[in-house]
Amino acid sequence: MIKLNPKLSQKFSYTLLCFATILAITPVILMVFIIIKNGASAISWEFLSSMPKDGMSVGGILPALLGTLLIVLCAIMVTLPVGVCAAIYLNEYAKNNMLTRIIKLAIVNLAGVPSVVYGLFGLGIFVMFLKLGVSIIAGALTLSIMELPVIITTARSSLDSVPYSFREASLSLGVSRWQTIRHVVLPNAIPGILTGTILSIARISGETAPILFTAAAFYVPHLPHSIFDQVMALPYHLYIISTQIPNMPKNIIYGTALVLLMMVLTMSCIAIFARIYFRKRRKW
Amino acid sequence: MKKVLNLIAEKIIFICGIVSIIFVVLIFSFLLKEGFSFFKHFGVLKFIGGHFWYPSSDSASFGVLPLIVGSVFVTIGACTIAVPIGVMTALFISEIVPKYIRDILKSLVELMAAIPSVVVGFIGMTTLVPLVKSIFNLPTGLTAFSGSIMLAFMAIPTIVTISEDAIRSVPYQYKQGALALGATKWQTLRRIILKAAMPGIIAAIMLGIGRVMGETMAVMMITGNAAHIPHSIFEPVRTMTATIAAEMGETVKGDMHYKSLFAIGLVLFLITFFINFIADLFLGKNKNT
Amino acid sequence: MVDKIKIENLSCYYNKKCVLEFLNLNVVKNEILGVIGPANSGKTTFLRTLNRMNDFDATYSKKGSVYLDDDDILDIDVETLRRRVGMLFAMPIPLPMSIYDNITYAPKRLGFVTKKIDLDNMVESVLRNVSLWDEVKDRLCVSAVKMSGGQQQRLCIARVLAINPEVILFDEPCSGLDPISTAKIEELMIGLKEKYTIVLVTNNVKQASRVSDRTAFFLMGKLIEVDKTGKLFVSPKKKETEDYITGRFG
Repeated sequence: MIKLNPKLSQKFSYTLLCFATILAITPVILMVFIIIKNGASAISWEFLSSMPKDGMSVGGILPALLGTLLIVLCAIMVTLPVGVCAAIYLNEYAKNNMLTRIIKLAIVNLAGVPSVVYGLFGLGIFVMFLKLGVSIIAGALTLSIMELPVIITTARSSLDSVPYSFREASLSLGVSRWQTIRHVVLPNAIPGILTGTILSIARISGETAPILFTAAAFYVPHLPHSIFDQVMALPYHLYIISTQIPNMPKNIIYGTALVLLMMVLTMSCIAIFARIYFRKRRKW
Repeated sequence: MKKVLNLIAEKIIFICGIVSIIFVVLIFSFLLKEGFSFFKHFGVLKFIGGHFWYPSSDSASFGVLPLIVGSVFVTIGACTIAVPIGVMTALFISEIVPKYIRDILKSLVELMAAIPSVVVGFIGMTTLVPLVKSIFNLPTGLTAFSGSIMLAFMAIPTIVTISEDAIRSVPYQYKQGALALGATKWQTLRRIILKAAMPGIIAAIMLGIGRVMGETMAVMMITGNAAHIPHSIFEPVRTMTATIAAEMGETVKGDMHYKSLFAIGLVLFLITFFINFIADLFLGKNKNT
Repeated sequence: MVDKIKIENLSCYYNKKCVLEFLNLNVVKNEILGVIGPANSGKTTFLRTLNRMNDFDATYSKKGSVYLDDDDILDIDVETLRRRVGMLFAMPIPLPMSIYDNITYAPKRLGFVTKKIDLDNMVESVLRNVSLWDEVKDRLCVSAVKMSGGQQQRLCIARVLAINPEVILFDEPCSGLDPISTAKIEELMIGLKEKYTIVLVTNNVKQASRVSDRTAFFLMGKLIEVDKTGKLFVSPKKKETEDYITGRFG
């Protein structure tokens, strides 16, 4: 083997690494570009605000958009309080014994369980066992169970990032544990929890598999009346029109993809900027 | 009054803690229960080792092997692409570029992770699949190969983010020590930093594998969904996740087919839980050093 | 001579490992008791036992009793105990809020000062007590984190004064400070003993000789000797004490 000059080998390797990075990043940009290029022409106020017509080949995506918003809203309303409280319990109250450690480990690992498995769970528990039927509420609960470990994990790491000494200082003044959490720990952990929550919302708005059997419908001719109705959902709608219906106009499919993509990316961007902002403002 | 409020708040927190713990147990026991009621009628070995997945024919056969092989094919394919690119990108981002470019690149990677899998699947269907078909002159572009490429993009953000954390948490004294001895930056990077960050990188790869294994929509849209054991990567395959998603709609609630899908869910759950557990062990190890 | 705190047969353990052994000691009302000794001699554990700050550590356990005004500290509600026995840490820990909020934080939470005007008066008086008022009166709304280390530590003292304690525990309060700030804090402590009982743990033997009325010497979890500061430093009874204060080890 030829021994390369270290300087030369460094240059070569750096080029390789740079190339790999470009390879990793370009597809995303390309993907976004393709969707915008083909979908932008479909986007109009009417597209967003009207019902689909003629076997969904004409008209808008209002019911799907609304359905997704409703499901996500309900899901986050359940998962956020429960998740944050559970994180507070695990981090601030639970004794550091074997059981707690097992629970923490289980929660971290649950975050990696495939979303379709949560779909199965939701189908079995919420749709069948609790007899909620295929409905907004069943889908929302399924998504909230799926997102619970993620919310707990991010909330816990935000709580952890508040220095332990703040708690000690507060406790040493005779302030109770809960008040210490409420007035010292939580205010400083909120930014992290908030960004984590926005990222979670972005993630669950794009999820299809968990709502496949719990909430989503192929086509509903009217808007949902209550949370016990089946709804159309944007990601599922995209799946349907791109695979199940032949001869769909291309710009409608791309338009739907564009709306979904923009929804998710905008929220992620907000979360990223919020994080940068809070980091700069951090007081310690 | 204040004391009472304190008490109530603490009780609520306690209950929420318990509730989330109950769900952890519930998910597992529920899948176990459904899975076992299936295995009672259809042996575990016949399920795992069976070569044929004909769930709805008269003499139904629930051999999950083709689906496992499908998942493994796609996963291996995706990892072959994603691991080198991901780790190299992590190195590039964490050690070579200046801070402001690093922040931009990291944000981009994070955005990449946010793209819904159904969008990835759709784009794969419209761009990659025809391309694969014409380049390799195949009867169909819906193959394990196309699926691997698309899934690689979904695994890359996971691998990059976690490896990057691991690389950056290497104490900078290591680096300074090596540089002080006259090693070039690249030598330091390759011999010292990469080695020290290895546990974290392995964890990143494991989590990437978990992500690919569990991916559903994109796989269902791109890999062709043929439930047979493939001979090469250029054939259509069907993964476990896609099977659940595609067939649950056709089943009669409570019959064998329905239960068999839960059994697949159980297998998936165990595999991913195991992978994550291993990753966690490596991450724990990385923290201590 | 009234004993404010009485410690009887106190032994402390972390994970069954004994860090403080069979301690008997009193703290007299309105005195400054200095506690000196090398690292790992159990000084800080001793201090944190007095206001039960070690309670959260699951590995910690103790035997023996501590009495505050003849009440066993285990019988006193832990929050009340900590209000009565204030504590200062080695590093100043201002909470991430304004100077004003740092001082009013605990009184508000504990609910014994609520009116705005009372709060204002209290802030001024405690800041005057630690001679910080003139330095910060124009920027009470500024984040406390922006102050210098010495100012932060004095703010922390003011914060403790605001909850009106009976005893104040100082855990090496000057270890991170420059000589001028240290001198200010020492001066402050001497002033404070008129109203409060003080226990001062310190690494700095000279500081103990300057400030404390009595000094206790700890070594390897045992109390070796306790006496009037003048006596202990001039004619220590035990050889270990002499070795330590003359700087032969530790």
